[in-house]
Amino acid sequence: MTIQTYWQIDVAADATRSEARARPNAPTLFRDVRTDASNRHDYYAQIAQAASQTAFDGLFVQYRPESDDSLIVAATIAREAPRLALIPEFPAWVGSAVYAAKQAVSFQRGTHERLGWAIAPSADAATRARDGDHVPTEELIERTEEFLKVARGVHAERPFSHTGQHFEVQDGGFEAPLNGVAFPRVFLQGDTDDELKLSARVADVHLFAAAPLSTLRRLTEELSLLSRAEDRSVAFGVIQPVLAREFADEAQHDAQRAGLPASAIVGDYADVAAQLSELAALGFAYFVLTAPSSLEEAYVIGQHVLPRFRALTETVRAAS
Amino acid sequence: MTIDFYWRLPTHGCHGSLRQSAYDRGDWSPLAAHNIAPGLDRNDADDGYRYIDHLAEIAKAAESVGFIGGLIPSFPNTDDPWVISPLLARETKSFRFMIAFQPGFLNPVHAARMAASLQRATGGRTVFNIITGGGGPGQLWWGDGFSHDDRYGRTTEFLDVFKGVWKGEGFSYDGRFFQVENGGLSPLLAAEEVPEIWFSGSSDAALQSAAKHADYYLSWLEPFDQLADKFARVKERTAALGGEQKCAVRVDLVARATEEEAWRDIRLGFENVSEERRKQGRGGPTDSVGAARQQALKPSEARRYDELIVGPNLWGGFNLLRGGPALGIVGSYEQCAARLDDLIAGGADAFILAGTPHLEEAYRVGEEVLPLLGRRAEALLQAAE
Repeated sequence: MTIQTYWQIDVAADATRSEARARPNAPTLFRDVRTDASNRHDYYAQIAQAASQTAFDGLFVQYRPESDDSLIVAATIAREAPRLALIPEFPAWVGSAVYAAKQAVSFQRGTHERLGWAIAPSADAATRARDGDHVPTEELIERTEEFLKVARGVHAERPFSHTGQHFEVQDGGFEAPLNGVAFPRVFLQGDTDDELKLSARVADVHLFAAAPLSTLRRLTEELSLLSRAEDRSVAFGVIQPVLAREFADEAQHDAQRAGLPASAIVGDYADVAAQLSELAALGFAYFVLTAPSSLEEAYVIGQHVLPRFRALTETVRAAS
Repeated sequence: MTIDFYWRLPTHGCHGSLRQSAYDRGDWSPLAAHNIAPGLDRNDADDGYRYIDHLAEIAKAAESVGFIGGLIPSFPNTDDPWVISPLLARETKSFRFMIAFQPGFLNPVHAARMAASLQRATGGRTVFNIITGGGGPGQLWWGDGFSHDDRYGRTTEFLDVFKGVWKGEGFSYDGRFFQVENGGLSPLLAAEEVPEIWFSGSSDAALQSAAKHADYYLSWLEPFDQLADKFARVKERTAALGGEQKCAVRVDLVARATEEEAWRDIRLGFENVSEERRKQGRGGPTDSVGAARQQALKPSEARRYDELIVGPNLWGGFNLLRGGPALGIVGSYEQCAARLDDLIAGGADAFILAGTPHLEEAYRVGEEVLPLLGRRAEALLQAAE
């Protein structure tokens, strides 16, 4: 399986970058001719350019309710990064499954089929109520499954009808030319039994949170068994924080300063590449890599780690 | 007083000419060598262009001749305006994206978050055309099972929540259709302006909802006196509720250097209408009051194009030539401008104009018609008599 490397855009990080509005009020010596027209969306576009130039395969745009909507961000940068896959993450409560599918179709048509769908992990009841989502907790898995069933249904069939707990469609389905593009690849997440079972039934890719190898091995084995029982195969992915520097001590030093989680892979270029290739050897094919100060780190990882990682995984593949 | 002029982006493909009914711009008709976007090269191979590239051309054309933005319509078989707008955001500078959508399809908190992001991405160039009446039984195609009047109730609540969360955190709402507990956009997003809201809908339920939430009340073109009455009624009702309502017209134009040339395009288009197309022109069942009024004109029964002239420069057969409303304006540049002036005198504060093909006609209308507005066209016409 070809390995896909995605860079993560965290739309809640670096929120003031490129924001002319965020400039200090105090007078300074330099002449600042920026207008309000430059803002954080220029920064998102820059990250996309960086990921493009350093040969990432795509961008994973995190769902962050406190900041910009991931689909809007993915679409605003899509035409400036003409090669990258774009995976906006969004919750299953966005609204009608039909409408979500229709938006996906247009996105696919306008971008040469570069869209993926990542369904965000479920939030707690109070958070959902803040967002106007009142589906009971015990129905969330079922709702996500139905959301995907209806979205895929109207995409694949006409007429498509469905009457369910959360969605209802009658004689739906897209006509030509809207029915001429692929449905986006579906990424699901989570490590509970129910979430793994859901992925076994409906995910194309299951994204695990970064964790020790032994944990990931257990979870992937479990998901393999479950998906085999469904007569399906689900690809594995990981959302992996990384920090790489020329020397290991520099990496450790910067990791402490950046406050990276314990699950982060930190080291020199070769070491980070080697640790990523251990994940590849476990069967992981989708790598969503992430680090704070997204633009600069995208260059570091893309320029120094990815070539080493690719060389290692090609060796692994050649040997297998 | 200044008037805002929008130009329509055809999200359902475009004809290369009003004389022919093939959607040969876009892939809504079978792809052939003369179709553009997606473009086929000389060997009938895909050259990589997509319909979005053509829409970008139209948006830039409209922007360059002074249109304030464009209406991006939404039907079952169109590309989606929530996606078109951000895809084109960074390729345009001042062009406003008027997103047509039906509130039932999105959670209002999610819609507010998307809209605020789009506002920031575009520097405040987002506008909404809220559609509620819609397609009658076809609503279930969209997965929407609510009745006509319920949908207006839902639209009102949707906009209550949409605007409520925009005021910031700590917003709660307990409606029949939507409930929010202690929600609200983050300060990062709430700092953006709420987009201008345009409303469509001719029913009583629509007018009530519009009075509460709309900045503009949008109507298809109707016979001028009838439209002026309708606008007066809308403004009166809103004023009675303590609000202020602006009015806007969505109208197609065939504007040419001479009136004869304009009618010639209409005649040739009319003579090319197939029997099948005529049947489609009758329209399907609808519970949209506006659509029903247009269907009552019965253009599908006319045998000559001039049977459908219903007033000076006013033709009622456009729906035979392309999808959409029946009435449009046909005439010389001066006549078209004079009719727009008449509509302004009748209470129109803004326009959504369209013409086929959308790219070339944007230039024609923007360069030749708009500069004549403000009774300059009337003076030219009188001088010529």
